[in-house]
Amino acid sequence: MPGVTMSFSNMSCSRCGDGFDPHDKIVNSQGELWHPQCFVCSQCFRPFPDGLFYEFEGRKYCEHDFQVLFAPCCGKCGEFVIGRVIKAMSASWHPACFCCAVCNKELADRGFVRNRNRALCHECNAADKAVLSGRHICFKCHGVIDDKPLRFRGEVYHGYHFNCTACGVELNSDARELKHRSGYTANEMNELYCLRCHDKMGIPICGACRRPIEERVVTALGKHWHVEHFVCAKCEKPFLGHRHYERKGLAYCETHYHQLFGNLCFVCNQVIGGDVFTALNKAWCVHHFACSFCDQKMTQKTKFYECDLKPACKKCYEKFPSEFRRRLRKAYDNTPKKSTSA
Amino acid sequence: MENGPVSCLPTTPKMSKAKKVIEEALENQNPELDLADKGVVSFEEMPGLIDMHNITRITLSHNKIQKVPPGIANLTQLEMLNLFNNHIEELPVSLSSMPKLRILNVGMNRLDSLPRGFGAFAVLEVLDLTYNNLSETSLPGNFFMLETLRALYLGDNDFETIPPEIGQLKNLQILVLRENDLIDIPKEIGYLPRLRELHIQANRLTVLPPELGNLDLFGNKSVLRMDFNPWVAPIADQLQVGVSHVIDYIRSETYRYLHNRHIAARGPPPPKLNDKTRKISRNRQYS
Ligand SMILES: [Zn+2]
Ligand SMILES: [Zn+2]
Ligand SMILES: [Zn+2]
Ligand SMILES: [Zn+2]
Ligand SMILES: [Zn+2]
Ligand SMILES: [Zn+2]
Ligand SMILES: [Zn+2]
Ligand SMILES: [Zn+2]
Repeated sequence: MPGVTMSFSNMSCSRCGDGFDPHDKIVNSQGELWHPQCFVCSQCFRPFPDGLFYEFEGRKYCEHDFQVLFAPCCGKCGEFVIGRVIKAMSASWHPACFCCAVCNKELADRGFVRNRNRALCHECNAADKAVLSGRHICFKCHGVIDDKPLRFRGEVYHGYHFNCTACGVELNSDARELKHRSGYTANEMNELYCLRCHDKMGIPICGACRRPIEERVVTALGKHWHVEHFVCAKCEKPFLGHRHYERKGLAYCETHYHQLFGNLCFVCNQVIGGDVFTALNKAWCVHHFACSFCDQKMTQKTKFYECDLKPACKKCYEKFPSEFRRRLRKAYDNTPKKSTSA
Repeated sequence: MENGPVSCLPTTPKMSKAKKVIEEALENQNPELDLADKGVVSFEEMPGLIDMHNITRITLSHNKIQKVPPGIANLTQLEMLNLFNNHIEELPVSLSSMPKLRILNVGMNRLDSLPRGFGAFAVLEVLDLTYNNLSETSLPGNFFMLETLRALYLGDNDFETIPPEIGQLKNLQILVLRENDLIDIPKEIGYLPRLRELHIQANRLTVLPPELGNLDLFGNKSVLRMDFNPWVAPIADQLQVGVSHVIDYIRSETYRYLHNRHIAARGPPPPKLNDKTRKISRNRQYS
């Protein structure tokens, strides 16, 4: 018993220096003893949650206060960095947060280059320098392309990443990208061919500019045309899918075909291809030569009357009120007779 | 045409004629309906017509139709509608919403106004309003929005003036203003680039705007009809020798000067010359 008393009197609390009562609880941490009320965070004086504490320069802190006082913040995500801290570019980083500004690879173990205030991996740095010096960077491997690049789907590549779609040979910069046929404009439909296979495929040549047509092909007048090179022989506007009219190996827009050679049907307003009925300062196609008042079809031989330069069949004329017929007759008697051809 | 004795008996034989045509068209899937002179008084005699959604042409000339039902606008494929010589006093507002209607003939009816929004037709090319009771006050505000119009027939109506907005009809090739009461025609007509047929005979016109000289009314594909107007002497003199002489004359500096003077010193307009009391378009039931 006395020995026990003895031993108590020899011990004191690491924080307050007082001894311990025989009935006191004692906290023993790493060989040091504490009153339970003295074993607290040096900053907030509260017990350590779950007994977990951090020590720095001889003092103990709760996790929260330790982070607040001493842990660095990540330059990317802003969270505290516990454990491995990457110190670079005058900031601290989680290893996973310190990445190449271009390709986003982690840089912690591969080293980095400072490039215009960005951290870049060595490859991206080289590529960046190459672009600045006017050289191309392969879209696939990010390496510098020293000779001519292969252009494909809007990007540049080393030719050797691809093979000809037809013969399988490894390609070089001479390879041709074949844009997909009419209707498809999406780049993803395009394919690559070596020059020999491309030529063998018989790509159509434009009748106007003599260059190959890789996009939509218009076939007309026995030739192929770029959509934008198939134009009216008179006004030179491209038809762009609108109707065109052919005559003696040339194509015309509706307006100019009509102006130069033809007649538009008064009813359907289309250029008249076959037989034309002309009368009363107008023309009609075979389907539409009819009485304007009852739509009854007429032939070359049908007798008709004229009202406002429109044809009226006999039946319609007879149905006109008599006062109207009288006026028509008066007008007719007054006009010089030449215009009616029926 | 004249008001004969009124019969109360249903005109069954004629009714069945229209029905028969419709039934045949339905059977043969014929998209064109010829219902001219079938004694039709009302669309109600033609059940099923409004549901023929594939129909492209309806000819109903020479009938006695008074009302066109708004439901006609459901015929969205309709390109030609011929209602010449009926008893129509009013058109439905819905008509101008017909998306494919290219040719509309409502000549020789009893219209004294056009429905509001009438200028909204999407593709109307030929509009025949000949022989009605229309005047400048009958036109709805958007009438001259009919930009696709190739031919406008307004002959035999009651116009005294034509709004200058007619200049908006840039595709107009044919303009008929015969036998109205026109005192004036607007100079804007001289700027219609495609106009090749102009009918202004039998109005109260004394001078032509010099701008009309812009028009290519000379060519063998052009027509200017201008008889029966109380023209000022120099124009009347030229007209004696021929229309081409009138055109030459109004293009001259002399005429420009005369025209300005005439406009500045113009007196009251000449009296109305046309007697319209006997026009059948005047036989309106609801006025
Ligand atoms: Zn981080
Ligand atoms: Zn990188
Ligand atoms: Zn590469
Ligand atoms: Zn190949
Ligand atoms: Zn070309
Ligand atoms: Zn052209
Ligand atoms: Zn036609
Ligand atoms: Zn007829």
